[in-house]
Amino acid sequence: MTLLKIEDLNKSFKALHILKGVNIEVNKGERHVIIGPNGAGKTTLFNCIYGTLPLSSGKVYLAGKRIDHIPSFKRTEKGMGRTFQKNNLFEELTVEENVRLAIMGKKKYRLNMIKPMQNYNDLAEECHRLLEEWEMTERRTVLVKELSYGEQRLLEIILSLSTNPEIILLDEPTSGMSPTETSRFVKLIKKIPDHITLVIIEHDMEVVFSLANKITVLHHGTAMMTASPEEIRGNQMIQEIYFGGGALSHD
Amino acid sequence: MKKALLSTILLLMTVLILPHIISPFMVYLSTEILVFAIFAMSLGLIMGFGGMPSLGHCAQFGLGAYTVAILSEYTANIYLLLGAAILISLCFSLVTGYIAIRNKGVFFLMITLAFTQVLFLITSRMKFWGGNDGYSASVTANFGFGEITSNIGLFYMMGFFFVLTYFLLKLFVNAPAGKVLKGMMENEGRMIALGYNPKTYKMFAYLIAGSMAGLAGGLYIYKTQFVSPALFSVHMGAEVMIMVFIGGMGTIFGPALGAGAFVFLQNYISTMTDRWPLILGLLFIAIVLLKRGGILHLIQFVSTFGLKLFKSSRNAPVDKQVKGKEQAS
Ligand SMILES: Nc1ncnc2c1ncn2[C@@H]1O[C@H](COP(=O)(O)OP(=O)(O)OP(=O)(O)O)[C@@H](O)[C@H]1O
Ligand SMILES: [Mg+2]
Repeated sequence: MTLLKIEDLNKSFKALHILKGVNIEVNKGERHVIIGPNGAGKTTLFNCIYGTLPLSSGKVYLAGKRIDHIPSFKRTEKGMGRTFQKNNLFEELTVEENVRLAIMGKKKYRLNMIKPMQNYNDLAEECHRLLEEWEMTERRTVLVKELSYGEQRLLEIILSLSTNPEIILLDEPTSGMSPTETSRFVKLIKKIPDHITLVIIEHDMEVVFSLANKITVLHHGTAMMTASPEEIRGNQMIQEIYFGGGALSHD
Repeated sequence: MKKALLSTILLLMTVLILPHIISPFMVYLSTEILVFAIFAMSLGLIMGFGGMPSLGHCAQFGLGAYTVAILSEYTANIYLLLGAAILISLCFSLVTGYIAIRNKGVFFLMITLAFTQVLFLITSRMKFWGGNDGYSASVTANFGFGEITSNIGLFYMMGFFFVLTYFLLKLFVNAPAGKVLKGMMENEGRMIALGYNPKTYKMFAYLIAGSMAGLAGGLYIYKTQFVSPALFSVHMGAEVMIMVFIGGMGTIFGPALGAGAFVFLQNYISTMTDRWPLILGLLFIAIVLLKRGGILHLIQFVSTFGLKLFKSSRNAPVDKQVKGKEQAS
């Protein structure tokens, strides 16, 4: 079943035509990885799917319904989550406070003006469970700005999971992580249940092939090819552009 | 909750005791301080927790004042009068907020100022209500327990509303809506990605702050018995902003302290020299340049520092005792 469908998406910044008629279909449960060189327009694509940036033209469907005209926060309500390429957290709050704020986004009482937030037990329980799952319980009272970069990357994902998403857009989740952090991260990502669909932008080929069951190559603003990891590996042209020539740049 | 309750009780006791230990003139002055404290705390909410620096927050204050002054011709019922003051400023906030919260930073500042300027122009042309010369009202507070005419009575009246406002604001900032507001100020993009609608929370805060300013304005008349377009001047808008700044942005009590310091210094220094604006300006620059925080942050800093000193001086001998016992056993 197609969960996310991007149809003929175009995006220009003034005269700069960044995305040129992108078509991508993501099936439910898929681990869909998007690869492409720096500046290919991957982050821009995410921003368009999520509504952070307005489209120039094209359509975005989530579970068969068009979502390209609704504001971003409503896309979250409809089951779309995202992480950011550059850490985007509440630095002055603790890990726990970050997660609670994230979980509360889907609660009715988020508009309550009287009862202290810390007195909501369900919030505390859900937060505890999530931190346990992601092996961050020990760090719960640490201020986010004092976390290591890798831990902050992890928290990015925890926050996006807090909203009960059906689909999460992960923008270069492993960038800036040490090799140990990366392998720990891959192990944790694999634990995300299948009913949550993942779209991942990734540069690290080892990570790509250990997670992906579908890969889209974004090149100069067009989705050049969408195929299984095996096909991508076997494709002569892709090999030459990305692997053979070593043109796939790292940050 | 416990903390909010505790600090409120502490504040209430201070308000109850204060008039008996300070001079009559200070009681008189403190009445004004309390009104401005409510006013400044309300601005402190949207500035320090919502990232909305309004230079026109005096609009709601002035509207509250005008409402009570004008309606007092028809009724003396203080519940009705203050209720009307809150309602009118709430309505004004509803209309202006709808437009203002779509803007950020300097644009928010300018648009709120523009709304206030409109009120300034209207009130200064309203010949019927005094125009530029202002309008005198004769109002006496009576909550059903007899008329409040003494200075101490007025002090307690303002004190009651001050403590109430403080408590409500304290509840708000610790409740979900307040936490979301603060999160929005720190990282709006992330809050949106978490499914929060920024406009809802900003509007809430703006409405709360607006009606509290309206209440403060309504109360103000019971002390001054006079309104004039000056209430809507840039001067007024800037003064309350300075109170928030020097008191400590991002706290509830800070702006109240700022109001206290401001009114106090204004009255004292202006009896000694007419360079008050200069001194105020220097104080303001110092606070902006030195640190982000205001008086309250300074107090917090000094007290935690003092507490550390106190603890370390007490811990030292305790450590020795423990060690001694360990050796003995
Ligand atoms: N707001 C913007 N205004 C103008 N140009 C932009 C804007 N955002 C992105 N661009 C340009 O669009 C192009 C694609 O950027 P994008 O961030 O989508 O690339 P990317 O594929 O995510 O690259 P990377 O791998 O480095 O993250 C770049 O050339 C960038 O300079
Ligand atoms: Mg990118």
